[in-house]
Amino acid sequence: MIYKILKKDFAKKKIINSAVFLFIMLSALLMAAGTNMLIELSNSLDYLFEEASAPHFVQYHSGSIDQNEIVQWSAENSLVEKQQIGEMINIEGANTYINSSESEKDTVMDMAFVKQNESFDFLLDLNNQKIELDKGEIAVPIYYMQKRNLSAGDQLIIKNERQELSFTIKNFVRDVQMNPSIISSKRFVVSESDFETLKNNFGELEYLISFQLNNIEQLNNFNNQYSSSNLPQKGPTIDIELLQLLNSLTDGLIAAVVILISILLNLIALLCLRFIIILTIEEDYKDIGVMKAVGIFQSDIKKIYLSKYIIIALTASLSGYLLSLLVNKVFSKNIMLYIGSAPKTFIQSILALISALLIALIVIGFSLIILRRLAKISAVEAMRMGSTVNTISNKSRFSLFKNNIIPTNIFLGIRDVLIRFKLYAILFFVFILSTFIIILPMNFLNTISSSEMVSYMGMVKSDIIMDLRQSDNIQERFKEIQNYLKNDPDVEKSNSYITSKFEIINADGYRENIYLETGDFSVFPIDYIAGSAPLLDNEIALSYLSAEEQSKNVGDTLELIIDEASRTMIVTGIYQDITNGGKTAKADIRPDYETAVWYNININVNKNIKDKVSEYENIFNEVKIYDIGDYFMQTFGTTIDQLRLLMFTAVIIALLVTVLITSLFLKTLIAKDRSQIAIKKSIGISEKDIKIEYLTKSLVILNTAIIIGTIISNTLGQKIVSTALSIIGAPRIEFVINPLEAYILSPLIMITAVTVTALLSIKSIKEFSISDINAE
Amino acid sequence: MNNILETNNLCKTYLVNNRQYHILKNINLTVKEGEFISVMGPSGSGKSTLLYNISGMDKMTAGEVNFGGEKLSEMSENELSELRLNKMGFVFQQINLLKNLGIIDNIIISAYMAGHKNKDLIKDRALNLMKKTGIIDLADNEITQVSGGQLQRAAICRALINSPQILFGDEPTGALNSSAAEDVMQVFHDINQEGTTVLLVTHDVKIAAQSERILYMLDGNIEGEYIMDKYNYLEDDLKERESRLTKWLLNMGF
Repeated sequence: MIYKILKKDFAKKKIINSAVFLFIMLSALLMAAGTNMLIELSNSLDYLFEEASAPHFVQYHSGSIDQNEIVQWSAENSLVEKQQIGEMINIEGANTYINSSESEKDTVMDMAFVKQNESFDFLLDLNNQKIELDKGEIAVPIYYMQKRNLSAGDQLIIKNERQELSFTIKNFVRDVQMNPSIISSKRFVVSESDFETLKNNFGELEYLISFQLNNIEQLNNFNNQYSSSNLPQKGPTIDIELLQLLNSLTDGLIAAVVILISILLNLIALLCLRFIIILTIEEDYKDIGVMKAVGIFQSDIKKIYLSKYIIIALTASLSGYLLSLLVNKVFSKNIMLYIGSAPKTFIQSILALISALLIALIVIGFSLIILRRLAKISAVEAMRMGSTVNTISNKSRFSLFKNNIIPTNIFLGIRDVLIRFKLYAILFFVFILSTFIIILPMNFLNTISSSEMVSYMGMVKSDIIMDLRQSDNIQERFKEIQNYLKNDPDVEKSNSYITSKFEIINADGYRENIYLETGDFSVFPIDYIAGSAPLLDNEIALSYLSAEEQSKNVGDTLELIIDEASRTMIVTGIYQDITNGGKTAKADIRPDYETAVWYNININVNKNIKDKVSEYENIFNEVKIYDIGDYFMQTFGTTIDQLRLLMFTAVIIALLVTVLITSLFLKTLIAKDRSQIAIKKSIGISEKDIKIEYLTKSLVILNTAIIIGTIISNTLGQKIVSTALSIIGAPRIEFVINPLEAYILSPLIMITAVTVTALLSIKSIKEFSISDINAE
Repeated sequence: MNNILETNNLCKTYLVNNRQYHILKNINLTVKEGEFISVMGPSGSGKSTLLYNISGMDKMTAGEVNFGGEKLSEMSENELSELRLNKMGFVFQQINLLKNLGIIDNIIISAYMAGHKNKDLIKDRALNLMKKTGIIDLADNEITQVSGGQLQRAAICRALINSPQILFGDEPTGALNSSAAEDVMQVFHDINQEGTTVLLVTHDVKIAAQSERILYMLDGNIEGEYIMDKYNYLEDDLKERESRLTKWLLNMGF
């Protein structure tokens, strides 16, 4: 009997049952794919770090070094297991031609040329094998392979006025240190002999002083020991934790988003399910009464209904999982390319299946909860009344009799939504979700591409930024530029900032490195999330993550080591910073030129910015000069492109879901309201008026949902983004909203989609006739 | 008196599983303004189908229906709706009130939809009709809170709110007890007196005997008609009319 009832039910509610199936399937698909991505990511990353024998600590250094001193220090340090000094030649983009007659002069990447390392930090090919090259061969970072669409055999030329070197691309580099596109240097590998040629003719040398430790737990300790030593420190340091974070950031975020979408789809599936279960019970009300009356156990009645949802949930989840096997390659493409694949254990390979089944379990549990309402049905009442008695208490409050203003068909639509709101809940939630899914990435994208983003990068806001590379005569050049700017009448104001490595005394009493930007912070003010700029020489501002790590608030004090003497600094402000791992500080003190890492000059001009940028570029070559807009496009270009893609995908998914649910809902609703519609037609209410009534219902719900969805995106959504970004140092993101897009364009798109869908879905009103109803 | 409604060889055929069912066969019927007509006949004879087809609710298969000089077959769906809304009133056996609206809202909805500008006038008219039909106290009630007879009177009020030229009733007393049925018939007589044409479909001899013309339908044809004087419920002997009509019906094979 159960089989017969089920068969009838499937046939009768084909569309909405298919929709529930579809949503569960998609949800399971994304859940399995997302889980798989996370497994793949962590698994492959471990494998890559192992195969490449990743360094635990690297000090970049520009300038001369004493190799013996480093070797001796390492030998005496019990924490060090292996030590290695690598050389890196930085060659200007303007001198490099990658399979093209155009040079790479516009690149934001630092192009570093290296030879294969000897004992660890190996540069690997796409099969995770150590790259070995002969003279004239080169291995190019994956970043360029993708960007320039390169394949083995393509040419790379390095030339200046004196010399031209031509290389054949033999391989592509998988590099644990510089793989991710968010890292702004890339290592190219050449043979040993070519390296020597490059060293003698091109660019500047930078050293990578790398260490592997006996015990990775001692990393912080080692960091402190190194920075207290006299070893070379002119340049940034990185450690394995930062490498792991950077390597997993992009794909980790994508996996998180995929899982989030899966959860949202599951929510929609549950709402659909609730809608059909309630409708089914309402339709079968009398039958349920009869079954109860003849003595069938309630648990058996429940079984009839539940078995249907168990079948749907399990088949949909399994199909979702099977489909995920097909699409896994697409989702993990980036991971496979940049990080490579690794063998999987049995547990790892069934984890995705388990996650998909989890979706089925949630659905079944939810059905059980809704089916509890079967218990409330009284046999006698069900048989006598034949339908649930609607106890609507507030009907008279929305009486047509009292309405003098709103057109009747519109009034009836609004009224119905108000008094039967529970019925419309699913539509309402889906519309809110869709709005959220559209608006959130839109706002985020708009924020990240706005100049406001400067404040989240801990940078001052100016028209032009100059970025000087570390070199032997950097101080003279820096002075030279400052003097030039002083005499340039087009300059409104300018100021220079030097970031050096300083030491602070941390909470445990140990010395710890911090990147401290020095300069006058009143010239170009930055945004502080608490407090204000440091003005006196005993004042300091900390980045959010530094303040977190040191447990400091505005007004607290911090010991800073200046010229080997400790100075008590007062924390005057906390700002957001997502650069350099987010741990920086600012103070108006004398810079330490010995440990200076970056020299920046910020300029505001009263002339065309682009013109000034090219003017300065001609005068100060080898200085990187950006106008602020370009700077963002170049720094966040790939992220913005990815976000834009995500936004379009989100818009399309949201619209598809909206259209599908609207159509399903309205079709089901008018089937339910069939007799009422026929009555209206019989007394002469035109189809047009009835359609307007149903369209009004959809649009009233949609518009309310758009308002609520937008508010949620701007509040909760902003909080979610801030929470996610607090990990990298920007805990207080304020959305920069483009009102045209967010408040006009996207609602208009939704309204159009819903209106068209609604009109198409309620077409069958035409067929309803009173003669059919009265004949029933 | 003028003809308000005429049919000319009206046919209605249904196609079920590739078999044709001829429900109405060349019906020729003339209804004069102010007439009170009943259509009788056994189940399946085509009474209700006739009513749905002459009111434009159902599409005829062949023939023509003329209402007030206009051909129904030439009218669009919207024009037919407008015709029903403004010039016709309907009362059904199943009552067919809208279950999400209260009593008064069910009555005024047609007038509001007809686009009458003066809503106060509509409200006054609704309250007057309710007073006349004896349900004025129920204005604020929900339709689940009143009896079947009261509901049917509300349905009549709805049918009359736009002052229709003709009132159609499809077994309007079929679901009511005899006293409720009597009340409803009184309302019909009153409005007929005021000039509204009434056309009822009924099984009930007692109801039909209160009309001035009775049509007898069988297998989709009008088999015959019986003419009586206009009924005056205050003076006429209904029993006597009933027995005359019964005799005729027996002759017709009812």
